[in-house]
Amino acid sequence: MLKKFTLPVVLLVLAYALWASADFMEIAAGVALFMFGMLCLEEGFKTFTGGTLETLLRKSTNRLWKSLSFGMVSTTLMQSSTLVSLITISFVSAEMITLAAGIGVIMGANIGTTTGAWLIAGLGLRVNIAAYAMPMLVFGVVFLMQKSKAMKGLGYLLMGAGFLFFGIHYMKEGFDAFQSAFDLSAYSMTGMQGVLLFTLIGMLVTVVMQSSHATLLIIITALATGQVSYENALALAIGANLGSAITTALGGLAANLGGRRLAAAHVVFNVITALVGILLINQLAWAVDQGAFLLGIGDEDYLLKLALFHTLFNVLGVILLAPFVNPLASQLVKRISYQKQAAETPLYLFPEALETPETAVDAVRKEVHHLFDNAYGLLAHGVSLKRATIDSEESLSEAVKYTRKIFPIDVENAYEEKIKSLHSEIVAFIAEAQARESNQSASEALYTLRQASRDLVEAVKGMKHLHNNLSRYGLSTNPAIRERYDLIRLQLARLLRDLRLLLDADPEDVSSLSLDALRVSLEKSSRKLLDDLDEMIRHRRLAASIATSVMNDESYVSDICNNLIDAVHTLLLPRLENQSDQLTLDKQEIKQLVDEEARDNGAES
Amino acid sequence: MKLKKLMARVSDFLDADSKTQLEEIKSIRKVLKELKSKERDLKDKIAQVPAKNTEDKEELQIKLDVIYAQRKKGLDRVKELKKLLQEKKRIKLQRASEL
Repeated sequence: MLKKFTLPVVLLVLAYALWASADFMEIAAGVALFMFGMLCLEEGFKTFTGGTLETLLRKSTNRLWKSLSFGMVSTTLMQSSTLVSLITISFVSAEMITLAAGIGVIMGANIGTTTGAWLIAGLGLRVNIAAYAMPMLVFGVVFLMQKSKAMKGLGYLLMGAGFLFFGIHYMKEGFDAFQSAFDLSAYSMTGMQGVLLFTLIGMLVTVVMQSSHATLLIIITALATGQVSYENALALAIGANLGSAITTALGGLAANLGGRRLAAAHVVFNVITALVGILLINQLAWAVDQGAFLLGIGDEDYLLKLALFHTLFNVLGVILLAPFVNPLASQLVKRISYQKQAAETPLYLFPEALETPETAVDAVRKEVHHLFDNAYGLLAHGVSLKRATIDSEESLSEAVKYTRKIFPIDVENAYEEKIKSLHSEIVAFIAEAQARESNQSASEALYTLRQASRDLVEAVKGMKHLHNNLSRYGLSTNPAIRERYDLIRLQLARLLRDLRLLLDADPEDVSSLSLDALRVSLEKSSRKLLDDLDEMIRHRRLAASIATSVMNDESYVSDICNNLIDAVHTLLLPRLENQSDQLTLDKQEIKQLVDEEARDNGAES
Repeated sequence: MKLKKLMARVSDFLDADSKTQLEEIKSIRKVLKELKSKERDLKDKIAQVPAKNTEDKEELQIKLDVIYAQRKKGLDRVKELKKLLQEKKRIKLQRASEL
């Protein structure tokens, strides 16, 4: 209810303020241009990162100092901690980097983002940057109209920088004019009360604008025009930091477990840093004075001193918390834990995973693995064996032989609940990922994963038919019929166990070649089953009507097995980055091998 | 079909540079070595399975047969690659002497 009215009320108040004060309009337009510039910069960097940023993120986060440096350098270069945070959240969500590494990157990004204050304070307000903004916008639009992706990216970057500069210019102009009409500095407060009030204001402004960069711009410009005192500006900067953590926390709420943990870490980090900053504000101000003296910054140069304060305060936070990154990560893992969800609920498909093609592929692969787990349980029950029996080292032939009842499962219902809905989610997510920026290898990977998901669906559909006959004949009193159905059940149970072992095996021990033996074994046992069946019909040990049912069911189980092998092959693909795929036997070669074995066996007998 | 496949392979091979081709031979050899060690393991396992346990023995034998087939395929491919590489070298030398 409140949400429904918030936006219209904000818009009305804003419209009135813009109508009432031309100076305020200029300041607001400056903020809007600045934020639009940031959006353009983000868009431009997204075009250029196309894999580079992701590869770097994966490779350079195995040690804390590396994650810190990565966060620092990438945020400094891109001037957008939002982009870096978003990509980091998507990587942690997809479990492509650890939570501790993610915390390191976020900490580094907090330091990296302080370079923005240096740029605004050092350059933005001293030089007439609007003069540089105009050619940037002109060239930016020309580049943007080009077909090449790189050119478009460059266009976005130029336009982004242009709008940023324009924003800074308008803010400065607005505050200059504002000063002659009002004097906000009259409301400045001293002491702890002032620190707390201005921290709160800084935080609120950042939450409303969703950007600590924009808040800092306002603080610096207001400070430059004397609208706020230096002391209050320091508190506002602390508030901006807190506000950015709240923004991330709101974003993280929608993410999966990894994303929520990282967002929580960001809040913990920024809240502790802010608390230390508030408590030690006088000591920090003294340190800034000393630092300014060493760096040759003038006593009255409050803008650069504010930038220095912002950096020092964030560096202090990192120094204080860096030794506790691993304990913090393990505490977060313990406290924000997995809540058992229904089997049909996707575990990895979250909007954050769509941020980069790599994370999207990884999330889909994990979700298809989840679908395989669902199908695995359903198929195990379909052949009336417990999942635990297949997972154990128990003899499967004995488990099948001593089965006393066929599990009365409703395969149709289970299919609708556990398989179909998850498959639909996977297909929808892939469609969404393909609609976004992608590369060829990611598109191909998504295509094969969709096929793997479909294979699993087909496998379960096969079980729907098979289970009907298993319920009728599976525990037949006629030993010949029972024996046939036992073989069918055993065939599928063995394959399920082998596939599980392959998926759980050490990546070093797995190759696509391992699946060939399963295919040969499947082909061989299916051929043997049919040969035996022929013989039984010939000797009238089995009625032809039942024999056809067995034949049909053999065909179902064969299809189920082939679908499962194909799906697992796709799931194993990332581990098969060698030439072993070249030595995989094709259908013809497998048939030839089975023929040869049959000939050898015939000669022996 | 087989001839078409062969032709496609030959043309791919001739288009690729020698370095890539040597790398391909090297990586197949690596896989062949791994297969050989798997073969040895399987033989040991088969020897340890009691004679009456025909089912397990048969399963292991299938794996062994598959490994034989894969190794044969790999060795054939290495031979084929080497032959093509030599042929390429010969053509190069011939061209050089003509110049």
